Parts: sequence; C-alpha cells; structure tokens
Amino acid sequence: MASFVDTEHTKAPSRGPWTFLTWLVLQQRRRVALGAGLGSAWMMGLVVPPYLLSRAVDGLAAGHRDAVIWWSVALVLTGAALAGLGIWRHRTMTQVRMDAAFRTVSAVTDQALRLGATLSRRTRTGEVVAIGIGDVWTIGRSLTVTGPGVGAALAYLVIAVLLLQVSVLLAVVVLAGVPFLALILGPALGRLQNVGASYRSQQGVLTGRIVDIIGGLAVLNGLGGKEIYAGRFRRESQELQRQGYQVGRVTSVIQAAGLGLPTLFLAVVVWLAARLAAEGTITVGQLVAVYGYAAVLVVPVSSFIESAVDISRALVAGRRVTDFLALQRDDDMGTASLPSDGDLIDTVSGVCAPAGKLTVIATARQSDAAALVDRLGGLRPGATWNGQPVNEVHPTVLRQHVLVADNDAALFAGTLAEVVSARGDVDESAVLQALHRAAADDLVHALPAGLASRVDSGGRNLSGGQRQRIRLARASLAGPRVLLAVDPTSAVDAATEATIARRLVRDRRGATTVITSTSAVMLAEADQVHLVGGDRLIASGTHASLMRDEPAYAALVFRGEAPDARVVDGGGPS
Amino acid sequence: MTTPLLPIALPAQVRRAAARLVSADRPAFAVVVVISCAAAAAGLVAPWLVGQIINGVQAGNGVREIDRLGLLLVAAAAGQFVIGYGARYLGYRFGERTSARLREQLVDRMMRLPARTVERAGAGDLTSRATTDAGLVAFVLREAAPEVLFALIQAVIIITAVLLLSPPLGALGLIALLAIPLSLRWYLHRARPAYLAESAANAEVADVLATTAAGARTIEVLGLQQRRRAASANAVAAARSAMLQTLRLRTVLFPTIDISSAVAVGAVFCVGGLLYLDQAISLGTVVAATLYLRQLSTPIDTILIWVETLQSSLASFARIEGLACQAGDLTTTTTTTAPLDHSIVITDVYYAYEDIDVLNGVSLEVQAGERLAVVGPSGAGKTTLARLIAGIDRPRAGSVTVGGIEMADLPPEQLREHVILVTQEHHIFADPLRDNLTIAASHATDHQLLCALRDVGADWIDELPDSLDTDLGTHPLSGAQAQHIALARVILADPHTLVLDEATSLLDPTAARHTERALAATVKGRTVIAVAHRLHTARHADRIAMMDAGRITELGAHHELTAAGGAYAALWKAWTGIPSKRQR
Repeated sequence: MASFVDTEHTKAPSRGPWTFLTWLVLQQRRRVALGAGLGSAWMMGLVVPPYLLSRAVDGLAAGHRDAVIWWSVALVLTGAALAGLGIWRHRTMTQVRMDAAFRTVSAVTDQALRLGATLSRRTRTGEVVAIGIGDVWTIGRSLTVTGPGVGAALAYLVIAVLLLQVSVLLAVVVLAGVPFLALILGPALGRLQNVGASYRSQQGVLTGRIVDIIGGLAVLNGLGGKEIYAGRFRRESQELQRQGYQVGRVTSVIQAAGLGLPTLFLAVVVWLAARLAAEGTITVGQLVAVYGYAAVLVVPVSSFIESAVDISRALVAGRRVTDFLALQRDDDMGTASLPSDGDLIDTVSGVCAPAGKLTVIATARQSDAAALVDRLGGLRPGATWNGQPVNEVHPTVLRQHVLVADNDAALFAGTLAEVVSARGDVDESAVLQALHRAAADDLVHALPAGLASRVDSGGRNLSGGQRQRIRLARASLAGPRVLLAVDPTSAVDAATEATIARRLVRDRRGATTVITSTSAVMLAEADQVHLVGGDRLIASGTHASLMRDEPAYAALVFRGEAPDARVVDGGGPS
Repeated sequence: MTTPLLPIALPAQVRRAAARLVSADRPAFAVVVVISCAAAAAGLVAPWLVGQIINGVQAGNGVREIDRLGLLLVAAAAGQFVIGYGARYLGYRFGERTSARLREQLVDRMMRLPARTVERAGAGDLTSRATTDAGLVAFVLREAAPEVLFALIQAVIIITAVLLLSPPLGALGLIALLAIPLSLRWYLHRARPAYLAESAANAEVADVLATTAAGARTIEVLGLQQRRRAASANAVAAARSAMLQTLRLRTVLFPTIDISSAVAVGAVFCVGGLLYLDQAISLGTVVAATLYLRQLSTPIDTILIWVETLQSSLASFARIEGLACQAGDLTTTTTTTAPLDHSIVITDVYYAYEDIDVLNGVSLEVQAGERLAVVGPSGAGKTTLARLIAGIDRPRAGSVTVGGIEMADLPPEQLREHVILVTQEHHIFADPLRDNLTIAASHATDHQLLCALRDVGADWIDELPDSLDTDLGTHPLSGAQAQHIALARVILADPHTLVLDEATSLLDPTAARHTERALAATVKGRTVIAVAHRLHTARHADRIAMMDAGRITELGAHHELTAAGGAYAALWKAWTGIPSKRQR
C-alpha cells in the first residue's frame, strides 16, 4: 500500500512514542550531536567562572595587585566565551526542535494522504487537529534533552572531579546529595502531572464550551439565550479557577522546593567548607570555589528535572501521533489494471451506467445515492467496470480516470484558478471554460481579483451555491473518463440549474457520466434514469416514461404535487 | 491564511487593558509584591554570610563562630524556601483569577460582537483567539507572570543590596549592566511583529494539516496528494523562516546580556579588589558584592526565558483585546419606541458589499400574514434582502421598517419578537435538549417545549434516553433532527414574521418532505418571506417577487406571473423539466 503515495525516504515509525522520539533524533543525528557537544561545553563552562573567581580571591588575599587585574580580565573573557557557546547551543537546539516538529507534521500529513478516503472512518479529524496545534511542539520541545540534558550529566562529572581536588568529604556530600535531591523532587513532579490532569480536562471542557458558543453565535444572536450561555460559562470558569488554586498549591510547593532544596543543600555544603577553611584544611579561595561549584550544580539538576517533565509530556503527545501513524486503510488497495471502456454496473442494486451515456439516478434518500456512487467509484466494494471490480483497480490509475464529486468534497485554500485546476497546472482559459460550464462565470466578476482571488480553506468566504459550482467546475476541468457526481445542483437556483444541466450534457457528450439528482431539470437531460430505493433498483427508463408509468417517481420528483400531465408532456400553458 | 477581519488592539490599548486587569485585583497584587520582596531579600542573606565567613576565617575566628554563621546560612535558606512558596502560591492565585476574569470577559465580548462581524470574520479567527490566544495568555498569567514579577523584584533587591554594601561598587555594577535594558528595548521593539508572524505561520501549518485530514477523501478522489504535500511544505517553510527570524533577534539579545553580566562581575571584582588592596573595603565586601552580581544572572535568566513567551502572549493579548475594539462598535442607535403593527415596508433600499451595490433600489410592502416568495438567479440579492428584512444588516440607503420603526434600530431582544431569520445553518449546543430550546424562550415549561417539538414532527424525542434532559453533546443528532430543533426554537420564540433563506435545499427529498411539514407548522399564522430556489415553495405563495441584479423585476401571484410570460414563466418551465424545443 505504501507505494501509492509514499515518496518519503524513511517512513516514520509507528510502534510507540519512544521509538518515534528516537527516530526524530536519528533523523538529524549530526545536528543533535552538535547540540549535545555545545550543550555539554556550555554547561561545563559554567564551572569556569567560579574556579577563576576562587583563584582571584586567593590572589587578592595574597595581595597581588597585577593578579587582580588579570583575573578580572579572565573572568570577562570567559563570560564572553560562554555567551558565544550559549547562543550557538540555543540556535542549534532551536533548529533541532523545529526539525522534530516539522518532521512530525510531514509524517502526519503523509499518513493522512495515505489513509485518504478511509481516514474519516478510522479516526476523528479532531485528533489530527490536536496534533497540529499542540503535539508537534510538545514533541519538539522534548528534544531539548539531547543537548543541555547530555551537558548536564557531563557538567555533573566535571564538578565532581573539581570538588575531589578540594576535599574528599565535600565531594562525597555534594555528589551524593544532588542525586538525592533529584530523587526527592522527581516523584513530586509526577504528582504535579496528576494534579494537573483534572485541571487540564476541565480546561478542555471550557475550551470546548467557547468553541460551541462561537459555533452557535448566529443562533444566540437571532434567538436569544446569550445571558444563559454567558452565565453558564462563568460558572464553569469559576470551577476551573477553583481547581487552578489547587494545582497552584502543589505547583508552588514543587517550584519552591526545586529552588529551595538546592539552596538549603548549598548552605550545608558551605557550612562544612567553612569549617574546613577555619581549620586550615582548605584555602579561602577554595571555600569560594566550593560555593560556586555547588551553586552551578543547580543548573544541571534543574535541567534534568525540566527534561523529565518535557519527556513525560512528549510521550503523551507522541502516543497520539504514533496511534495515528499506525492506522491502516480499511480496504485492500487494488493492483488490477484499468479496464478498457465498458458499462459500470453496481452489483448491489443492479444499476447499470452504460459507457458513453449520461445516467441520472433518483433516490429518496441522499445517503443511498452517496453509497451507490461510492461503490461505482471504487471507494467501497460492490461495482464492476467492464466486469472488473472497480475497487480492485490500482488507485492511482483509477483516480486519474474515475472522479467522484460530492457536495462534502473539500475546497483547499488557494486562488480561484488553483482551486478549480486541482492537481493540474493552471491554464486560465481552461479554468474559465470550466467555470462557464458550471455556470460560475459570475464568480470571476464578483470576486475582487477575478481568477487570482483568494478562496479560503473550505471556501469559507463563498456562499453554498458558489462552493458547489466551484466543485463542479473542478470536476469538469479534470475531464475524467467517468464522472460520478452526487446531487451537483442542490444548492443553486432553478435557472442556474437549467444552465448547468445544458452545459454539462454538451461537455460530457460521449463520456460516461452518472449524476444523482431528483431535479426534473437534470432528469430530463438523462439518456437513462434509474429510480433507486435503499439498495434496490425500482425502475429504469427515461424521465418522460417514468413520469408516465411510475407514480412513485413523479411523487419523488415533484414532491407529491406533480404539475399536471400536460406540463410534463411538453404542452405547457404558455 | 485569511485576512484578519477582526481588529488587533494597539500597544496603548494593550497597556491600558493590562493595567485594568492588575487594578481589578489591586490588594492581592500588592500582597504578592510585598511577599516576593521578602523572599528575594532572604535570598541575599547567603552571599552576605559567605562574606562574613570569609572575614571570620581570615581573622582566624574559631569553629564555634563559623558554626554560628553556618547555622544562620541554613536558616536563611529555609526561610527563603518558605517565603518563596508563599510568594509563588499567591502569585499563582492572582494569575489564575486574572485569567478567569479575562476569559469571562472574552466570552462576554464575543456575545456582544455584531452578527455581521462574526460572519465576515468567520468562526476560525474568533475560535483561534478564544482558544489558542486565550490559552497562551492564561498560561502566561499563571506560570510566567508570577515568576517574572518575582525575578524583577529579585533583581531590584540585589542591585539595592550591592549599593548598600558599597555605593561605588554598586554604581559601577549598574553602569556595566546598562547594556541590558538597552538591548532589551531594541529586541522588544522588533519582537512583536516577528512573534506575531511566527504564530501566524505556525497556525497556518496547523491549518494546512487540519484541512488535509478533513479533506483526505477529496484528496484521494482528485489525486491531490502532491498538491497537499506541497502546500504543507510551503507552510512549513514559511513557519521555519518566521522562526529563524525570531531566532536571529535572540541571537543578538542573549549574548549581549550574558556579556554585560560578565563585564559587571569582572569590573566590580577588579575595582573592589583594588579598593581592598588600598584598604578601603574588606575582602568580605568584595566577595559578597561579586557574588551578588553573579546571583543577578538568576532573575535575568528567568526574565530571558520568559521574555519571548511574554512577547507572544502580549501579541495574543492584543488579539483578544481586539475584540473589545469591535464589541465597542455596537453603539448603533437603538430605539425604545415599539412598532405600531406587523406590516413590513421596504423603501428604495440599497446595499453594498465592498463598494459594489448588490441591491439597487428595492421597494416592497409585505402585509401581516402574507406569504411572499423571493426567487431569482444566484447573485440577484435575495439573501441580502432577506438579511435586511431580518434586521441583521442595515441598508446603505433607504429603509426597512416594521410597524413604522426602522428594523435595524430595534434592540436584539425586541427584534426577535418581530422577525427571525431561518437559514440552513443551525447549531446544536453540546448541552441538554432542554437548554437547546430554552435559549429561545427562557420561561417555557416542559410542556411547551414538548409541544413545540411535536408541532415540527420531532417524534424521535420519544426514543431519547432522557427526553428533554438528554445531553446532545454525547448524543449527537442527525441533520434532519437538528433542523427540527432549529424550527422548534422558532416556534418557541414566536415572532410574527419569518424570513426563510433556502431552508430546505440541501436536504434529501425524504427529509425535505418532513422538513416542509415541520416548516408548515412553524409558519402557521405568521408573515413569511421565503427565499426559494426550488419553485414548489414559491408556487403556493400569495405573491412571488422575481429578483435580478439587485432589483425586483416581477411581482405577483404564480398564475399571474406564469401567464405574463416573463422571466418567472421561463424559470417555471425549466424547473418542470420541459426540454427546450431545439434539443428535441
């Protein structure tokens, strides 16, 4: 199945979030290695200023005037070098995060394209929306661990070595104390996640409420009820605030501990060191150095903790991504080659669409029509084309020749010309002709920049009738061997419908075309009309013969109030 | 990306709005500031004590003296922990309260937005402001604002401490740090547009992904895979370059700040050291001042970590406050006079979209109880006319009145007693069925609600698990059922006039038949103005208005117009499916 759309060199793994995160790292291993190197150098470099300062204090205590100046210069230069390392690291890590986020976007896009028509049957679109808005950035952020995270571990080791040179006792206290702190703080952070969970879910409810209100603003504007909704929102907002206070209590303890416990620990270390200095075991400069080292150690430790939080969040986000990537199409992608022209037959209902003819199908329920067209178009099993099951034809080939056009078809953002051209290159005169066939010429004049006017995604800036005609123009321009259109004129007025019907017939002359419609205008143009109810073919004929012989048909087309027979027979009152 | 039709607040408006938020909770804010000061001060005790210890060691003081100072050091750290917790917790509560206030205000403003503005801007922009932007601002208020405030206080206290310890060293440090506010100014000046562009570009990436997923079927059917992949790649490329732009700004800012801090530490140590050698100050003072300045990097880093989030949240805040600018537009003249009767008079009305007139002098009188159908080709101005009659839009020239009162002057709660526009779009709230109905009639009894549902033929309510209490958020309805609810709401609202705009066109014939029945129940005893594009609705109307190019070209009953042989007659012939002679 992958051959059909997958042009990526490496496919994103879908086994689980850990595998996925690892893949994101491996895809940019050089950049990540650079980030790790810079992160380590920077973090270890943080140790240098306290070391220099300690030497400077010793020099000062010894009364060397020159030394004071040189040590000061060294302090400034080291600071500048660290600033350079720091920004280089930040630049590298930002690009690492961007790469991970965008690579995730591209993997999810590819998967959405791979799933195609089956996507909506396998998952909710909302899942993908959530991935695009938040998850990709959560995942990107977690890759920070590869840079500063690695650096933190190395910095810890360097500080250990330096401390050992000062005093074994101090080294043991510091090296054991810091991991101990991390162990105390670690579970507390886990608790933060749990406390936050119910807050976040309430937050989600509230966001959903806002979206719901926006969706219903027109209703609230037209009918009232704003006070009710504003009041309800306020109550729910207050509830969230109450939960927020609880989260705040835990968060504050943890954050205060994150800073306070290392400070407390630092105080104990300095106290110990001061006693050693008082006893003459270490110098004053070394005392200052110990203070500096222990203070610097806060950076790698908090970096570890931050990374742990980032990763725990990224695992949740990554799970959503890999769950989506693991989805399979629910149909077997066909491999058969395209049949030479022949009749399309729906084996379920027995409807036959003869090659080169216009067949119009009338159904009482639109869902029946949609299901029938899906079968004929090979989107679901059940139809044959010249004896070949349609859904078993290789999809890339099939889609070049068979086009299903329905009213739910998406319109993507672009210029009017691009939207109508769909996959083809923009040929303005062809686009204009297609718009003419769909009786949408007025659109070109109505829009400010003609063919270059912007169509928003979903055609939000157009009316329902305009959207429908653009879809029809798009289908017409594609010029498929087989065109299957579901009720293509449902949102246009009677006059426009007549124009479309006339032009469509002329355009599709000699090509296989199936249209579902209950409009007399469309039915009258058909070479053959089928009346279908559920999955059953009820009657076939022409519009005139069915009007005469099938009361059910007349009832359907004229909604139970058929104009008198004279009109249908063509002898109208005019 | 759509052009933002909703405004974005200007920097001055943003500042005023932020000041209002703080002053709304002034006592709490003051307490947060005071406690933060205490916590920051406690943090300063440690370097001072280290300085004292060094002095003590140099003076050859015994271990007992050192122990006393060491104990103080530990006590200071513990104090810092406790007060730090208090400061954070109170700050957190303040942020939480403020973000609640902000989102409640946002919803209130959304409710006050003119209907026209909402429609033109589309739900997308509004939704992203109300969710993404409001979410970011709430996050910043909760997490970042207290931390940044704390950091600012910490920085001020540290600088004050150095100044107290040794005024010349403090002054020197301040001068050396001057580059920081200067570079921050440079940065913040450029950051706003850059971060706005970044978040817009990221939103575009998310939007392309979302539309690709939503349109996956269409992509397969039309073979648009390559196109969508390219669209995604373009959006990603734009987002990447927007992010690199902000990264460039940070590349200037971060090193400047780091280097200034290093220069300050070096200069203070150098000058302090020379002063010590000249015996002007003690070694302990030099060390303490140097350590303080090094400690300054903690609050500066905190500010830097948040400054970009703060900046983008400020951009988000500007987008949220932009709604206030628009909601303020609602000061249209409203009248308090009640209409005299139910007749609707349209006099020489003009209406323009983007300077192009779509109505060119329409005049029409609709008597109470009359049924009028409006027909005509797309773009004839039918929907525009419907919206003017429903009082949603105001004509550019001419007037639309009900009982002698200008329709658009009526306040919404009065307007809906007179006329309601029924369109294809109907929204079902994710709430119990009862709440979905009572929006139209807040005091209606259950019996009235059930009657309204029966009237529109919503027999399916018997199958609902909890009748009126059924939560429609967890129990979604079909399109036809949703339409039933929309119509039941209209019955409950009970206006004397209904404007129907293409209400049944997208339904399949079976559903349409049901809807027509429901519609018949809804329109009973009311004036009806129906924009019809299926002619069977028009046929039974008392009068039919044929529109073309923003004018009414024909007006009369069905039999009159068909007999007249004009545009309507031609339309009628086409609709009944009589192929034209030349094709035979």
